[in-house]
Amino acid sequence: MSSRKYASVLFILLMVLPSCVRADDFEHLRKDAARISTISAGFVQKKIMKILSKPLVSEGKFYFAAPDSIRWEYQKPVKSLVISNQGKTRRYIVSRGKWMEDRTGGVQAMKIVLNEVAGWMRGKFDSNPSFTAAVKEGANMQIILTPVDKSMAGMIEKIEITVSRKDLSVKSVRIIENASAETRIDFHSVVVNHTIDPSVFQDVP
Amino acid sequence: MRVFSVLIGFLLLVSCAALPAIRQQEEVGGKKFECPSPFLREKTRLIHAIEVHAAGQPQTVMMGVTLADPAFRSLSCALMSAEGMVLLEASLNSDGLRISRALPPFAEGDFIRKMMEDIELIFFAPQGDPVQKGVFSGGEPVCRWHSRLSGWIDASAGRDGSIVIRNYAENGGLRRSVQLDVAAHPYAIIELHAFERIPYSLVMTLIESEAVQDDTLQQKESRGGSP
Repeated sequence: MSSRKYASVLFILLMVLPSCVRADDFEHLRKDAARISTISAGFVQKKIMKILSKPLVSEGKFYFAAPDSIRWEYQKPVKSLVISNQGKTRRYIVSRGKWMEDRTGGVQAMKIVLNEVAGWMRGKFDSNPSFTAAVKEGANMQIILTPVDKSMAGMIEKIEITVSRKDLSVKSVRIIENASAETRIDFHSVVVNHTIDPSVFQDVP
Repeated sequence: MRVFSVLIGFLLLVSCAALPAIRQQEEVGGKKFECPSPFLREKTRLIHAIEVHAAGQPQTVMMGVTLADPAFRSLSCALMSAEGMVLLEASLNSDGLRISRALPPFAEGDFIRKMMEDIELIFFAPQGDPVQKGVFSGGEPVCRWHSRLSGWIDASAGRDGSIVIRNYAENGGLRRSVQLDVAAHPYAIIELHAFERIPYSLVMTLIESEAVQDDTLQQKESRGGSP
């Protein structure tokens, strides 16, 4: 590559970089999000797939307490509950009207997901080496995670996390699996830094 | 030719010797006998919550989406965790089985083939005419079908309004039993019991169901063409 061409490429990269990836953006996010000690919110999840004529809508409640306690509860159409607290993750399901602990390996997959979510709640968007992270500025801040490993193609194409500029809480998460399948989770009634009873991270309903 | 027919008849009789006896009957309660038939008659999309039980204990809950077209006996299905993680996506039509996604343990062995057979058993009427029509010893109306691929299939109507579909191997061994509580919707609650090396059962509760108009038909209609 001639020095002139090299300079052109470098110039284009410098123009593009500020809008997509900068390590100090994430450092700022981490510092600012450190002020968040608790989050409680409701959520609406929409699953879009080719086999469905309209999105499959699920609803539930979400609780987070720093550093890594999470309660992720689906209330409809299928009830399920995942609690992650002090390094232990348990998943509960409703069978014949009673809450029972899930006996399959599904809890391990949820543990990985919840660890990731706990990181996002603390502003750690670029700490998973399996993803490259980029920031897109706008009315809200958008973090885009792209899998490094190409073998994840078809499983996860990218994850878009929208963060509120006001309080740095996560407003929505969009997991794009492929061109015809995605999951979108919108958080509502978000309350930041209000005391959450510790029993929320221990008790099943 | 006649000897051959007698031989086939004898073999069928011997091979189904272990099956529950059916008393031939042309009428039930003064009405012409009709086979119990909960099966789909039009292309339908169904979403169920699926409880998986094994060793007498509930194991997990999933969501299942089934798109079934009885006219072409084609199926598409997806299994999701309660949280919406897609664990399995597959379809079956005249071209064969196509797996779009299968996460462990759903990718193991012939799980997907057996799952598709279960879905066919639940939603599609058995192919061909029944080989026997009548009543069980308890008086429940029943029709029996036989095919080389599926073995024996009985569809019987219980006195409580439920319909039971049973699938037997050629030797009469019970493979599947499906109970449908047909009061509200034929597929409102489905209980499937699988008699495998490791037996399991599924309790499927309907979340939603909708008849599906064929895309090509819709396109023709929107263009003003005849279907």
